[in-house]
Amino acid sequence: MQSLTLPFIAIAGLAVLGYFLAKSRALQVSGGDIRKLVSLPSQHALNAVLATIVPAVAAIFLISLYVRLTDGTGSWFFQFVVIGLAVTGLALSLIGIKTETRARTFAERWILGLLIFASTIAILTTIGIVFSMLFETFNFFGQYDWRDFFFSTNWSPNFRGNSDLGIIPLLWGTLYISFIALAFAVPVGLFAAIYLSEYAGPRMRAVAKPAIEVLAGIPTIVYGLFALITVGPFLRDYFAAPMGFGQSASSVMTAGLVMGVMLIPFVSSLSDDIINAVPQAMRDGSLGLGATKSETIRQVVVPAALPGIVGAVLLAASRAIGETMIVVLGAGAAARLSLNPFEAMTTVTVKIVSQLTGDTDFASPETLVAFALGLTLFVITLGLNVLALYIVRKYREQYE
Amino acid sequence: MEDMYHADRAMSTQQDIKIKADKVQVYYADNHAIKDVDVEIADKTVTAFIGPSGCGKSTFLRCLNRMNDTIDICRVEGDITIDGEDIYDPKVDPVQLRAKVGMVFQKPNPFPKSIYDNVAYGPKIHGLARNKAELDEIVEKSLRKAALWNEAKDRLTAPGTGLSGGQQQRLCIARAIATAPEVLLMDEPCSALDPIATAQVEELIDELRQSYSVVIVTHSMQQAARVSQKTAFFHLGNLVEYDDTDKIFTNPEDSRTESYISGRIG
Repeated sequence: MQSLTLPFIAIAGLAVLGYFLAKSRALQVSGGDIRKLVSLPSQHALNAVLATIVPAVAAIFLISLYVRLTDGTGSWFFQFVVIGLAVTGLALSLIGIKTETRARTFAERWILGLLIFASTIAILTTIGIVFSMLFETFNFFGQYDWRDFFFSTNWSPNFRGNSDLGIIPLLWGTLYISFIALAFAVPVGLFAAIYLSEYAGPRMRAVAKPAIEVLAGIPTIVYGLFALITVGPFLRDYFAAPMGFGQSASSVMTAGLVMGVMLIPFVSSLSDDIINAVPQAMRDGSLGLGATKSETIRQVVVPAALPGIVGAVLLAASRAIGETMIVVLGAGAAARLSLNPFEAMTTVTVKIVSQLTGDTDFASPETLVAFALGLTLFVITLGLNVLALYIVRKYREQYE
Repeated sequence: MEDMYHADRAMSTQQDIKIKADKVQVYYADNHAIKDVDVEIADKTVTAFIGPSGCGKSTFLRCLNRMNDTIDICRVEGDITIDGEDIYDPKVDPVQLRAKVGMVFQKPNPFPKSIYDNVAYGPKIHGLARNKAELDEIVEKSLRKAALWNEAKDRLTAPGTGLSGGQQQRLCIARAIATAPEVLLMDEPCSALDPIATAQVEELIDELRQSYSVVIVTHSMQQAARVSQKTAFFHLGNLVEYDDTDKIFTNPEDSRTESYISGRIG
């Protein structure tokens, strides 16, 4: 594909040109008295700029997507189309400038187009990601039996060929670590949210809420270091070794707990918002019947907020499943199928990274398996997100 | 019909004193919201609190079951006794008090639970039923008293939020009755209801008078005149006048009361 630099520069130049041309032409049409114009010169200028930019940029995006998907190469023809669109848009808007032209309402339409385009990018990108994964996954299954991939309990890649690439140990590690993370984060996050929204005074809240949310800003690699040098050895020396669960500092428990800490702000922040959204009338009603504060929270506030809380938990679960760095440093990279939580295990995401590091030739099943793993993970988290959205929507505003 | 009401009222004013307030002051932070209110509320009577918005009638009502305790900046001084017992005594548990003094709010606020669970909520918390059969009985009796049984008996497991506005308010009344209170406080219980639902609730209030001392805050003077036997007029945090409803509406002593009921202030 030819460089996209030229069209972008051309569009920007045309837009600037259009701004000044449209302004001066509008002034000229009015004969010096802008009160005769239906739309102001600056509105004509805005219309010209948008008419130049919006269709051309949309075309660039669609063309590059098309070129990428068909693995074709772009040509001068595409650049010509893009620049042609910009010039046409500019010319039409300039020709259209008359005293009675309603440039203001035209500009509205271009702005609508711009907004639609922006939301399309988000959707098309998702589709683009799925397709690029799908192609490589098909390649992989052309070289490796899908039954072995999904049902083999052994993961031992071998770069000379003859690898065992069973997803089950990786999936097991992923689910085990995520489970521990959620088992830690959900109660802690939820109780923190209840304290903050129901008990804490305004001053306490002003300090505690941002303090908890700081956790969300810590890079996951830093959490990983914390797991590696603090939590891992601590768990090994005080729990695993005395109880005879092994000598490994990297363990499912280490990664799970540290990941749980990372998820606390997710659960607490979302739950806090949801609990605050429960109408005060509910609390008054319960207190007025002689319920205590904690009875009110347990029997009225939390049930009313439950759909939202479940949504928050599922979003946290998606986050846990996709997490990589904490696992590499906390749980190690050994694929293993075991129930012992103090044993090193690994997850799908870690293996995607290790299969692709140092090898960029996507031809062997050992590298292509990364895409199959990625797609599987994507399907799982997508399913969780859809479920979360469904639950939140179904039960939203049941009270009111 | 009118005559009958009058006869009723004459009788009911002879009842015992249920609630007695003496020099009650309420402050919201520095704002003196209730000033020196003395009032004696009779048992088995409907007492109406009327007055313009912000006059303190709801605030005073919320003192009677210590709901103001849930507001941090609110401070109550003076004595309020129910059956001669000081409700602000440190020995009194506000949670127990609120079971004895039920409350119905301005906007119907059923919990997002089934109709049955809404009514059973209070009895369950306070352990009023020994078994499921007794609980069923309490629920049925409360719904009957709230004139909702016929509409709700076939849908007890349906969510309480699915009822119409008037039905929801009657459900809230049933919920309050279920804890076997002695006093029922109602904070503008009809202001969110249409005229037909209002009429039903008013009729219900008149029946509840047989068993409870009912205190109702209302913006509607017609409503006060229709349902109450005693009326208290609040203005700017003061209790201006308190007397038989007939007297307040026909021959008020204070000029402010007269201005309010004739529509000149408020």
